Amino acid sequence: MFGKASSSQSSGFCGSGALSHVYIQYPPLRCTVSGSRNLLYDDGNKLLLAPTSDRVFSWKTVPFDPHVAPSCDSINEGPVLLVRYSLDSKLLAVQRSDHEIQIWNREGGETFSYKCRSESDHILGFFWTDSPTCDIVIVKTSGLELLAYSSESKSLTLVETKKINVSWYIYTHESRLVLLASGMQCKSFTGYQISSAGIIRLPRFEVAMAKAEANSKPVLGAEDVHIVTVYGRIYCLQFDRVAMLLHSYRFYRDAVIQQGSLPIYSNRVAVSAVDNVLLVHQVDAKVVIMYDIFADSRAPISAPLPLLLRGYPRAASMSSQSISGDYEAVEAKVLTGTEAITYGDGWKFLVPDLICDVTNGLLWKIQLDLEAISASSSEVPFVLDFLQRRKSEANKAKQLCLAIARTMILEQRPVSVVSRALDVLLASYSQSIKAGSYHKRTKAEKTATSGVSSANRTNTVIDDANNQSDAFGKSVKRETQTSSIENESTNRSCLSASDSEDNLSVETQKFDSLKLDSSSGKMDWDHSIKAEASGAAVHQPSPQSQILGPGSTPLNANTSENQDSQVTSAVISPDDLYSFVFAPAEEEMAGDASYLVAIIVEFFRRANLDKLKVHPNMYVLTVQLLARSERHAELGLFVVNKILEPSKEVAFQLLESGRQNFQTRKLGLDMLRQLSLHHDYVVLLAQDGYYLEALRYSRKNKVNSVRPALFLEAAYASNDPQHLAAVLRFFSDFIPGFKNTSEHNTYSRVLAEMNTSIAA
Amino acid sequence: MGMSSVSTGSDAMKLCVFDLRRGQNEGQELDKILFFYPADLPFSTQLSVIGLSEGLITFTRIFSPEVACEVIEAEMHSHVFYEAEPDIWMVMVVEKSKESEAIWRIEALRGVLKEVHSLFVMFHGSIRALLDKEPAGGLIRTHLYYFIMDYLSDFLTVKKLQLPNFRESLKQRGTVQMLTIGREVALEVQSLVKALESSAGSIQCYSLIMYQDLLVSTTLSPDDTVNLFTYAVLRLSPHALSSGVSSWSYLRKGNIAPDVSSGPVLPNSGSALDHNNGSHETSHVGDHRYNAMRPLKHDKWSRGKDGFLVADVWGAEVDRSARTCPAIWLHQTEERMYLCAYQHRNLTLIFLVPVTSIVSEEQGISFMKQQIIENASLKIIKVEEKLSRGWGGENAYHVSGYRYLLVDGDRSTSRATPPGKVTTLTKESLVALSKLREEVDLEKSRVKWDGVGREKDLELCIRAKNNAWVIARLTRGKELFLVLEKANETLLYASDAVEKFSNRYCNGVFSVD
Repeated sequence: MFGKASSSQSSGFCGSGALSHVYIQYPPLRCTVSGSRNLLYDDGNKLLLAPTSDRVFSWKTVPFDPHVAPSCDSINEGPVLLVRYSLDSKLLAVQRSDHEIQIWNREGGETFSYKCRSESDHILGFFWTDSPTCDIVIVKTSGLELLAYSSESKSLTLVETKKINVSWYIYTHESRLVLLASGMQCKSFTGYQISSAGIIRLPRFEVAMAKAEANSKPVLGAEDVHIVTVYGRIYCLQFDRVAMLLHSYRFYRDAVIQQGSLPIYSNRVAVSAVDNVLLVHQVDAKVVIMYDIFADSRAPISAPLPLLLRGYPRAASMSSQSISGDYEAVEAKVLTGTEAITYGDGWKFLVPDLICDVTNGLLWKIQLDLEAISASSSEVPFVLDFLQRRKSEANKAKQLCLAIARTMILEQRPVSVVSRALDVLLASYSQSIKAGSYHKRTKAEKTATSGVSSANRTNTVIDDANNQSDAFGKSVKRETQTSSIENESTNRSCLSASDSEDNLSVETQKFDSLKLDSSSGKMDWDHSIKAEASGAAVHQPSPQSQILGPGSTPLNANTSENQDSQVTSAVISPDDLYSFVFAPAEEEMAGDASYLVAIIVEFFRRANLDKLKVHPNMYVLTVQLLARSERHAELGLFVVNKILEPSKEVAFQLLESGRQNFQTRKLGLDMLRQLSLHHDYVVLLAQDGYYLEALRYSRKNKVNSVRPALFLEAAYASNDPQHLAAVLRFFSDFIPGFKNTSEHNTYSRVLAEMNTSIAA
Repeated sequence: MGMSSVSTGSDAMKLCVFDLRRGQNEGQELDKILFFYPADLPFSTQLSVIGLSEGLITFTRIFSPEVACEVIEAEMHSHVFYEAEPDIWMVMVVEKSKESEAIWRIEALRGVLKEVHSLFVMFHGSIRALLDKEPAGGLIRTHLYYFIMDYLSDFLTVKKLQLPNFRESLKQRGTVQMLTIGREVALEVQSLVKALESSAGSIQCYSLIMYQDLLVSTTLSPDDTVNLFTYAVLRLSPHALSSGVSSWSYLRKGNIAPDVSSGPVLPNSGSALDHNNGSHETSHVGDHRYNAMRPLKHDKWSRGKDGFLVADVWGAEVDRSARTCPAIWLHQTEERMYLCAYQHRNLTLIFLVPVTSIVSEEQGISFMKQQIIENASLKIIKVEEKLSRGWGGENAYHVSGYRYLLVDGDRSTSRATPPGKVTTLTKESLVALSKLREEVDLEKSRVKWDGVGREKDLELCIRAKNNAWVIARLTRGKELFLVLEKANETLLYASDAVEKFSNRYCNGVFSVD
C-alpha cells in the first residue's frame, strides 16, 4: 500500500514549490449518509461510523482507501451517543443515554442492555478491550466498570470496578490507556492501561496549569488533553491555555514524568502522530509544527507551515496528479469550496493521523512530505537521522537518504560534514544489526528463565546473515535492561504501547529503563533518548513468537493484527551505499579523486568502528581512484596497513592498476599469494617472466592446474636454453606421461634448435 | 698509488665535490673544486686528489661511458665515487688504517654521499642549477660548504669523523623505517591525513606523519619520502629536537659559526679564484652576500607555542620571509613546497604546500596553520594517543634469536634489529655480514647492468669464523639479512630459521621450496 502511495506522490510533488511539509491527499474518503447527523470514530477497529436512526454505516480507514464502500448494520431506532464494535467485530455496542448501553450480537441478532444501577451515576463512555479478564470497560462518573461478555449466556458480567470520581475521560486504543480526570479543575488524572498484558494502574498525577489571575482557576477540558503514541512510547500532551504551552508527560509503569513544553500559537490545538512524528496543529493559525521527540531537542523539525491539500484539481490548473477515472473527475466537481478549506470548523482530529471533516462528511489522512522536509533543512546529518527513523514510507526515506548522501558528495561538501552524515547512516545500520542479533540471543534465555507470560507479542528478529531486504519491523532494545536489573530500585521500566493495526508498524516489546536522578527527581532524559535511539531498528518481519517478558511484570500492550504487512526500512547497508552513492559519485566526479578517497576513508573508519563488513567493491573502487591519480605511495600504505582488506577482487584490481606501476602490481601479486590463490599467483608469475619462481612455488604448493605450455612459452621467450631445458626437465620429472605430449616434442625440438644456433 | 700528498693525520677522511665541466684550462684547475673536506688542506693536495679522481673517471669512461669509476681500492685508501649529477662528482677518500674499526662497505659510504646530495638538492635544488645561476661558483660553494659541514657534524665523535663502518651492517641508509599499525589506527591516521589535505582546500598538498623516528604515513613519492624522512629524523623529530643540546653540538656550537664567517677555506678559495680569474668580480664567499640557508644546522628548529615547529634563523637575516617557513624542492614533481611541521608529543606532522599556490607567504601559511589546527587538532591528539598506546617501545621490532635487516627496495623501507640488540653481536659476525653485503651489492649491480630489467632471486649463506650463520636472501626486490649467532651446526637448521622468520614476519616472502 505504501509503496503505491509513495510512488504516486513522489511523481506529483517534485518541484511544485508548495511550501508544506505535511499534506492531505485528495481525494478524501466520503462518508455522507443521508439521515446521519454525526460521524464517530471507533479507534479499536479503525472504523469511521455514521449512525442514522436505525442503522450504522462503517468505513474501514485502514488501509486508507478513498473509494472504500461502507458496510451497514441495522440497530433499533433511538438516540445514538457512542458506537463501538467489539474487537472481534462480533458485537456492536451503542450508548443510548447517560444510563444505557445496548449491545447487539451481530451473528445471532440478540440484543441486551446495560443500565446504570443508580440514578446519580452517568455513563461517560465505554470501550472494548483485549484484556484477558474483561471485554468492555464502561466509564462512569463513579469510576470504571470492567465487564466480561459471555457468549453462552449472551450477557455481561461485572468483573471489577474501580471507584473514582470522574469528570471526563480520554482513551486511545493505540495506547490502551484510559485517563480519568477528576477534581475541581479536572487536572488530576488517574490512568489505567488495560491491555492483553493485564491491567496496570498508573500513579495519580496532576498537571500544571498556569493561572491568569490569582483567583481564577481554569478548568481543564477533555479537548485539551491528548494521548500520543510515538516510537512505542506513550505521552500525554496537555494544552495550558493560559501559559500557551503544550506540556508533555511521559508515562512509565510507576511514574508520570514531565518532559518539557512546546510553545503554542493558537487557541485551538490538535495533535496527530504520523509515522512517529508529532504534529501539533495550530488550528487558528492554520499551520502545523512538527516535532520528532525521539531526538533530545524540543526544537521543531522545521518552521510552521500550512497543511497542504494535495492533488486537488482546481479550476485553473489541473494538478499534476493524473486523474484517470471518470469517477474522480465527477468527484472533483463535487468537492465544494468549503470542503477544500483546511482547518475548517468541522474538523475533528482522530488518533493517530486522520482528520474527519464532520460538516462535509469527509475523511482525510495526514501524510508527511519527506522530500519537502529533507529539502528544507541544510543540516544534512540531522535530516538523515530523521529520515532513518521513518517507517511508513521507508522506501522513500531510504531513496531520499541515498540521494542526499550522493548529492552531498557530488557537491563536495566539507569532509567533516559528509563524515557525520555517514556516521548517521552507518550507526543506524549497525544498530539494526545489533538489536536484531541481540534480541535473538536473549529470546532463548528469557524463555528459559521466566515462567510468567501472558502476552502474545510480536517480535522481529533479524537474520544473522543480515539480510536487510525490504523489510520492516521495530526491534527491541534490551541493552538497557541489564542495567535495570542490576539497579532495579532506581530504574523504571517504561510504559509503552504498540499497535500494529495501523499497518504502519509491526511493533514489538520495548523494555526500556530510565535512570532516575534520585536527588532532584529529574529524569536522565538524554540517556533514555539514546537508548531508544539505538532501539529503533528495522528488520525482516519474523513469525509471531511467544516471548516471555523479563523478570519484572511486562508492561506493554501489543496486538498483532496485520502481521504480514511488508514495509521496507530506511536503513541503508554499506552495500547500498556503494551501489547508490559511491559508485555513481565516482562516475560523475571522475576528476577529483582525493576528495572521494577522503570520504571513503571516513566511511571505512566508521564501518570499522562498528565492525561492519564493507563490500570488496568499495576497496576496488579505492584502488582505482588512488591509482588513477597516481598516488601509488598512498595505495601501498593502504594495502600494507590492510585498510583495503585483502580479497581476490582487490588483488586483481591492484594487478590491473599496476600496469603502469610495478610496485602496485607486486602488491597485487603478494596479496594473491597471501590469500593462497595459488593458481592465479603462479599464472601471473609465469606471465611476468618469473617462470622459474613460479615453478618452484607451484611445486611447493602443489599447484597442478597450470598448463606446462605457459611455463615453456615463458622460458622460450626468455631465450635462455638452459632455462628452457630446466623447465622441460621439471615437467618430464614431475608430470607422468609428459614426455609423450606434443608440447614436450615441440619444445624439445625448439631447445635443440636453440642449442645448435648457439653452437653455430 | 702515490697519494703521498694526502695527509694521514687526524683526518682519515676526505670528501670533495667537483665539476668536470669547469676549470678545463691550464691554471684554472681550482675552479673545479666546489667543496673540499678538510677545508684547511693546501690547494695542491686538494688538486691532487681531484686530479687523480678526474683522471680515473676519464680513463674508465672509455670502457664504460654510462657508469664510470665506482671505487678505487688502493693500499692505504679507498676512493668512493659518486656521480651526483652529470659531470658533478663526489668523491670520498677513506683511510684503510690498521685500526680495527676501519672496515668499510663501499655501498654504505656511497650511501652517505647520496644522502647528503639528495638532501642538498631537496633544499637548494641541483648543484648544476646553482652553478648556472651563478657561474662564478661563490653561491654553490657557500651552500655546499655550510650544508656538508653541517651534515658531517652528525658523524663527528669526540675527535674525528666516524663514518658508517661494518658495525652498521644491519642498517640501510636511504630507506624509511615504518611504524607497524593495525587497521583501526591506520584508518584513524588516514582520516587525519585527509583532514590535513582538506585544510589546504583544492591545492594539491603532501603530508608526512611520523611517530618518534618512525614513519606512519606519507603521501609523497618514495624518493621524496626518503629525503624528507631522513631530514626529519635528523632535525625535526622530538628526539632530534631534544638532542639539539647533545654534548657535541653544545661544544661546537660556538665554534662552527666563527669557523664559517672567517672560514679558512672559502675566503681563501674565493681569493684564490679571484686571483686566478682576475676578470671575476671580487667576491668574498663567506660574507652575507649569499644567503647561507643552513637547514642542517643544529638547534635551528624549535617547537613553537602553537605546536608548529619554527626555524628561528632560517636563511640570512636579509630574507625575512624565509624565516617563517622554509621551502624544499620535490624530487619527483620538481615543485617547490613550503614545509610546515607540527608536533604533538611524539607525533610529527610535516605538511607541504606548493609555493606557487600561496600568494602572500606570511598570511597564506599562517592561515593554513590555523586551518590545520581547526580541522585536525582533535584527530592529531587521538592518533597520538592511539599510537602511544600501541607503541611497543624501542625494542618493539626485536625478534629474539635473530639479528636481521629487512629491506624493501620497492617501497624504500627497511626494518632492522634495534641498535641496542645489534651491539650484542661479536665483531666477527658483523664483519662477516659486512663482507656478505658487499657481495650482495656486487651481485645486485651486476644484475642491474645486465639490464634484464628483472629482479633476481639470490641466496647467500656463510659460516663465520665464530660459527655464526650469516645469511642473505633476495627475492623480487626484497632483501633479508640475518645473523644467527646461536644457531646450530647445520645449514639445514639455519635455513629453517630463515623460513620461520620469513613466515612469521615477512608474510612468507622469503620462503622458498
